[in-house]
Amino acid sequence: MTEYKMFEGCTIGNRIPFIETSTRKVFEKLGIETSEAPFTCCPDPTGFKSFDDEGWLAIGANNLCLAERENKDIISLCNGCTNTLRGVQYQLEHDSIKKEHINKELAKIGKEYKGTINVRHFVDVLRKDIGLEKIKSILTKSLDGLKVACHPGCHYMRPHEWMETDDDPMRPKILKELVAVTGATVVDYEEEALCCGSAVSNAYEEVGLQNLKRKMDSIKKAGADIIVVNCPACFQQFDTQQRNLKKEFGEDYDIPVLYLTELYALAMGENPDDLGMRYHRTRLRDIAPLGV
Amino acid sequence: MVMDFEFRKQVMDYHQGSEVIKYCYQCSRCTDNCPVSFVTDELYQFGYNPRRNILNALLGYKENIFSADPIAIWGCTVCDTCDEVCPQNIELTEIFTLLKNQSIEKGEGPEFIFQQAQAIYESGKAIPSQPALERRRESMGLPEIMAPNVDEFQSLMNNMEINKKLKVGD
Repeated sequence: MTEYKMFEGCTIGNRIPFIETSTRKVFEKLGIETSEAPFTCCPDPTGFKSFDDEGWLAIGANNLCLAERENKDIISLCNGCTNTLRGVQYQLEHDSIKKEHINKELAKIGKEYKGTINVRHFVDVLRKDIGLEKIKSILTKSLDGLKVACHPGCHYMRPHEWMETDDDPMRPKILKELVAVTGATVVDYEEEALCCGSAVSNAYEEVGLQNLKRKMDSIKKAGADIIVVNCPACFQQFDTQQRNLKKEFGEDYDIPVLYLTELYALAMGENPDDLGMRYHRTRLRDIAPLGV
Repeated sequence: MVMDFEFRKQVMDYHQGSEVIKYCYQCSRCTDNCPVSFVTDELYQFGYNPRRNILNALLGYKENIFSADPIAIWGCTVCDTCDEVCPQNIELTEIFTLLKNQSIEKGEGPEFIFQQAQAIYESGKAIPSQPALERRRESMGLPEIMAPNVDEFQSLMNNMEINKKLKVGD
């Protein structure tokens, strides 16, 4: 089996590492092997890229060089990191002047970007390389009766030229398929393709909250028990901001958020305590099919 | 209104293919599908409007963009929805990145953007490692995160003069 370089990213690595715990448990069961590399920040496609686009290219390329050195593909646990690393590759591949310029900078620190490795979002690896049958085979408990709203998030699928998922960038379905194998019921909701608003929240909190309200109203209307995501930034937005929605609008949502591998780990019979469920801000309680 | 031809050229030359901006016929699919425009119309007098930004960029009306409330630039949440729905395949978000970069060069832009850039410059990570988090990782059976080569990383950034854009000591 291929060994990937693990790109857990700053948010998972240094803020919400419990997501990495469930991911590693699931990867181990599925035979997805990973190893570490001294990566820096990807850097953030919604933050640092806005600060200095050329620097974004150079830092991204510098990270890609680290994986190229070992001739291993990267597996990313974050939409933002995947978006940056794939976006950098796309731009350098399609613009020889940019590539030459960035390589001139990299040469000063003894590196060269070649474009020899691939960057994979873990959702893409699960769907294409592992497959639904194999995933089903590691799950020991059916989540029958659980109603799930799926939120794949913007940078998993857009812009489509960079991301090259098999998904429709405005009508995604792969996360739904990956959730449905657990026996849970995926509920459709109107605002599925709507951004979580994480980026704008950093600059304009009230705008971010208004946007999140629109999203959460739609999820609530669909009768979802939980939200499943595949990005740590979206996770944080949903998990930590629900209480602010209550403060701001008096609206009680209280819909817990699970990262896809957390859902799988629970369906593998893992103990919620070992998965760090206590670190979730929107607590999981009385959700019978999950056993928590 | 003054047309800034230099600015117009920067927009057209941003990427190979950026000149397709001239095919914009102001259909407003970008703004109609923009989640931020949807909510700022109610909250702000001028709000965030990608269609208007593209029009001003195309015509070289630099002042219109940079003298407006900063939300005209920084309201963008980088969801890339406008890129997908544009019938002329204009890479709107890339043009908005150029606008944001120019805003930063003027020393403007949200505090968060500067703080994140500072953290990345100092530690190589947007969210630096902390002893408490390292202990939590260990208690959860997670491997240590390999430390990046910060010296080398800072050389790369210094060579590109990115350090000069930081608001050190502010």
